[in-house]
Amino acid sequence: MKGRIGRSLVRIYAMAAKEGRHIVRDPRTLYMSLGMPVLLLFLFGYGVAFDIDRIPLAVVDQDRTESSRALVHALTASRELVSVGELPDPAAALGAFRKERAVAALVVEKGYERALLAREVVPVQLLVDGADALVANQLLAKADALVRAESQRLATAEVGERTPPVRVKVWTRYNPDGRSAFYMVPGLAAYLLAITAVLLTALTIAGEWERGSMEQLFASPIGRLEIVLGKLLPYLGLGLLEFLLVVAFGMTAFDLPMRGSGFALATLGLVFLLGMLGQGLLVSVIAKNQTVATQAGTMSSLLPSLLLSGMIFPIENMPVVLQQISRVIPARYLVHGLRGVLLKGNGLDVLWPDLVALAVFAVVVIGLATARFQRRLA
Amino acid sequence: MSAPGPGAPVIEARGLTRRFGAFTAVDAVSFEVERGEIFGYLGANGAGKSTTIRMLNGLLAPTSGTARVAGHDVAADPDSVKASIGYMSQKFSLYLDLPVMENLLFFGGAYGLSGKALRVRAGELLELTGLAGQDAAITGSLPGGMRQRLALAGAILHRPEVVFLDEPTAGVDPVARRAFWRLIRQLSSGGTTVFVTTHYLDEAEYCRRIGLMVDGRLVALDSPAGLKRTWVPDRVLVARGQGLAGAAAALAGRDGVRSVQPFGAGLHLRVDPARLDEAGVARILAAAGAREVAVDRAEPSLEDVFLAVVGREARGEAAT
Repeated sequence: MKGRIGRSLVRIYAMAAKEGRHIVRDPRTLYMSLGMPVLLLFLFGYGVAFDIDRIPLAVVDQDRTESSRALVHALTASRELVSVGELPDPAAALGAFRKERAVAALVVEKGYERALLAREVVPVQLLVDGADALVANQLLAKADALVRAESQRLATAEVGERTPPVRVKVWTRYNPDGRSAFYMVPGLAAYLLAITAVLLTALTIAGEWERGSMEQLFASPIGRLEIVLGKLLPYLGLGLLEFLLVVAFGMTAFDLPMRGSGFALATLGLVFLLGMLGQGLLVSVIAKNQTVATQAGTMSSLLPSLLLSGMIFPIENMPVVLQQISRVIPARYLVHGLRGVLLKGNGLDVLWPDLVALAVFAVVVIGLATARFQRRLA
Repeated sequence: MSAPGPGAPVIEARGLTRRFGAFTAVDAVSFEVERGEIFGYLGANGAGKSTTIRMLNGLLAPTSGTARVAGHDVAADPDSVKASIGYMSQKFSLYLDLPVMENLLFFGGAYGLSGKALRVRAGELLELTGLAGQDAAITGSLPGGMRQRLALAGAILHRPEVVFLDEPTAGVDPVARRAFWRLIRQLSSGGTTVFVTTHYLDEAEYCRRIGLMVDGRLVALDSPAGLKRTWVPDRVLVARGQGLAGAAAALAGRDGVRSVQPFGAGLHLRVDPARLDEAGVARILAAAGAREVAVDRAEPSLEDVFLAVVGREARGEAAT
């Protein structure tokens, strides 16, 4: 019995060593697993930043008083809004939107200062280019906050030290600056890991079929579980390296905090990788050629991990059907788990349901791949 | 289940049949192969050679019939069969991106060999196959003949009782083919049974026995000499001399002449030895104006056998 297990280990090792040598000798595999994710993270991390900064603001100041200039200053002082110049009337502002010189225009009507001094309610217009809903929404929230601060300043300046009766103090925990990189990078890490892991293994079994070497393997005593495990191991190592690289890059380039334990992080990553590599094997076992395997592998990993993982679109906002579908998308659990470990400092005592979900997926998908993998021809 | 005794056949096929849907690829094939024998399996493309090999290898389950290889039933115990055979498939299945030695180490590992024993054995085989010193060469950079010897080395690392070689010399130059067959004979004299398919008829002469497949059926099985006796009863003659081209017409249609074909500067003919001999042929040619005529007996080739067998199958005659 011991001899049998020993021989089985020898065969798995031979398979893993061979696969490892393929990886080391193939620059494309190394680029795909180590270079591309870092590059994509870099591009996505900056490009997909949802923080609004330096928004061009046109100013239509028809009042031209001390007070109106103070209002403009209050809005642009933080540099989140930047004045791109004065315009004579609101109609000109619409022209500026069309030419994309400004995304917003502040209109201060004549009589602003006079009304202020008369303690009347003063209307101030903010015109917003709504073509990009995301920018428009954030802009409205920002402008609202800035104007409120200004009116508070005006009120207290007049009344003296009197504090307003109710003050809401908002205290945002974990990501106080609302930086999108903090929630994007864990999502991106899961997304990139999902695609590359599925593709890595999707290509490997299909490659054996195409080369004709699968028949040679089948004619040897090497078993199908031995082939599957032998092929998984080196890619698991590579994937783990990729995972750590992506997280480390996120920490250095985007100041991503690491508040939880490395153990929880590595465990979640490892079990997630097993599932995704297994999914690649399943694709590969069914497809039998590299072109189909690449397409099926990409489709089955890219879209669900991007759309249904909660990486960009909150799962709570999805229709119930999509929420249910997202339950079988492993990226969902890794995104949640990573945010928990990195931002909140959660350990496996809190995140164990994510770990269990990932483990179930891995076992099911590797089992399916092995079962579908016929060691006989035709 | 036990190992076969010294006299028992190493490969034993009984009514082995494989159908793919309505198509019968291998039709009730029966034969035995002795230990240490070089057994050639001949046939046109699609005649069922590879399908037979795959059934004997445990890669394809037979539709009906049975086969035992190295004492194990191929349908009931394919894993034991796989452990005791070596196989070189039609498409060389080496990993071209890996160095020579890595290929051997991988295939050795797949058969459960490891450590120093594997390295020593791999070194021995590189020596045997004339690849010594090529350990670090990338397999894809080797010429076809070397790759094919490397593939053979990979198939015999674990000292299998039987090696199956499916068209091992396809697309390899004649010098490399001869070197390869030297290796096969060496293997066989060491006691390894070699089951080889080929469509090079000159190579088949090296086999101790030959099975001939036509459309999924094994229609002839004998030694090369036996096949020639049975299938080419005519005497094959070669005539040389001057002015033969003009005189050849005089032979065609004569009593006892089966066929006349120009062959280089001479004539290649098949005659019925009961009705016409060498002297008779020489007389006819001389009478028709040929000079300095010399007629000699020639050995029929396996090509003659092959054409005779295929011709009879095409006419739909029953087997003897």
